[in-house]
Amino acid sequence: MYALEICGLAKTFKGKKMRTVEALKGLNLCVEPGEVLGFLGPNGAGKSTTIKCLMGLLRPTRGSATIQGRDISSAEARRSVGYLPENPAFYDYLNAEEYLLFVGRAFGMAPELLAQRTEEMLKLLELWEHRKRLIRTYSKGMVQRVGLAQVLLHDPDIYILDEPMSGLDPIGRALVKEIILDLKKRGKCVFFSTHITDDVEKICDRVAVINKGQLLVVDSVQNILQQGTEGYTVTVVAGDGRREEVFVTTDRLQSFIRDAAGESRSIEKIEPRRKDMEAFFLEIVAR
Amino acid sequence: MLNMMRITLKGVFRDRVFQGIMALAVLFLFIPSAASLSMRQVTELSVTLSLSLISFILLLLSVFLGGTSLWRDIERRYTFGVLSLPLSRSSYILGRFLGLALFLVLVSVVLGVAACVAVNVASSLYPADRPVVWSFVALALVYATLKYILLVAVALLLSTVSTSFFLPVFGTICTFLASGISQQVYEYVHSAAAVQTVSPLFRQVVTAVYYLIPNLAGFDLKINAIYSVAPNPRGLALTACYFLAYTAILLAGSIFLFNRREMK
Repeated sequence: MYALEICGLAKTFKGKKMRTVEALKGLNLCVEPGEVLGFLGPNGAGKSTTIKCLMGLLRPTRGSATIQGRDISSAEARRSVGYLPENPAFYDYLNAEEYLLFVGRAFGMAPELLAQRTEEMLKLLELWEHRKRLIRTYSKGMVQRVGLAQVLLHDPDIYILDEPMSGLDPIGRALVKEIILDLKKRGKCVFFSTHITDDVEKICDRVAVINKGQLLVVDSVQNILQQGTEGYTVTVVAGDGRREEVFVTTDRLQSFIRDAAGESRSIEKIEPRRKDMEAFFLEIVAR
Repeated sequence: MLNMMRITLKGVFRDRVFQGIMALAVLFLFIPSAASLSMRQVTELSVTLSLSLISFILLLLSVFLGGTSLWRDIERRYTFGVLSLPLSRSSYILGRFLGLALFLVLVSVVLGVAACVAVNVASSLYPADRPVVWSFVALALVYATLKYILLVAVALLLSTVSTSFFLPVFGTICTFLASGISQQVYEYVHSAAAVQTVSPLFRQVVTAVYYLIPNLAGFDLKINAIYSVAPNPRGLALTACYFLAYTAILLAGSIFLFNRREMK
């Protein structure tokens, strides 16, 4: 059973002057349990619309989707999910501790476990000292951390994060990356949207690229990076000790090594030169 | 649902609108002296002023808190976090409604105690010919509370279709004003005197509006409390049934509409 399964999901909005906007055009995507999938796309590509459909905030015009086999139209489907909205906002008349207790109760957590997990999460996200302050007094970064705390609180199997690094400073971003990598280690499924290619390259197992409501590519990060190898930068040391860096295309690498050995030149280092995720992304989107 | 109700209650108590409106309760202090301006009916006037003040405070609370609670959640995007929890939209609406209803009950109890103190002071200064029947005062308070709970349900229904607070707030005020006089208007257009002057079409429109908007006239037991006149038990039972049925219809409508609403 897939953690997330999206079949032919389409969403049309009514725009101004009776115009219709096709935000999603028959999206098909499956996410395996334990997988970290980056949902990459430029602004307005349909990332948030997809996520909102999954979370029951928008009703798809066509198609269906399931979370661990349960249809997204049921509230029960969300029981195994931790969701972080884009630029989250939480009841600002509550403090962080009260909000987490509210979320934990909504997930039916036992009171003792809830108290323990709330403390753990507040400490993990460095909110413990501020737990009694009303959320309305928090900075944007602190609100984002409350969002992450409520996502992690009930230890779900699936995490759906909409732009989790948005609005965070470098320390906050590093913390989020660390958390996602930890979830990956623990076999959790993470589906997160972003338009920052570097995050995908460092964190994800697979990447799905969406643009103008259409899914363009779904592939493993490893595959993409391998396919993007243009050649190698070889550092050669000549007989007189002089170092030289030579670019060798992939198909010429074997013969270059042979020739170098014949010419009594030693090879010190071979480094692949490849397109990064950003180049790949730009190429796909520009098609 | 209980979770949502608890959060609603907490939010209302921390709301500045509530704190501002509750400042009006300070007027209870002036009721005994204001009532003494009436030379003969000091107790009656103190009951009138107390119940009117409570009614006014409850009206403001039900209109502003009922009309803005859902709108604020959507406007400030709190709904993204809340509706993505394993919580159905019907639980959300019912939790919100029950929280606001419980809040109105609590406020009524507190204001009711303050009213009793004010009336007691006034009647001890100038004893009345007819002693105050406290159970009638309590009944008037209970029915006034039911009336404003029903008004909260109206405000919630309007909030489910509105993208701004204008419709819920002003729509609820208009409903309140119209529902207070709908009975008289209905009776007039169907009276013999109106046959010549009112067109059949207008009569039909009035009849339709009469059945559509809530009829709040039956909830007003002020006269019974002021003059210690026993209310008709059958009328009370009918009004209670009307409250339950009308509120249930409003909530069912709110749930239906909110289930269809998209959180963009």
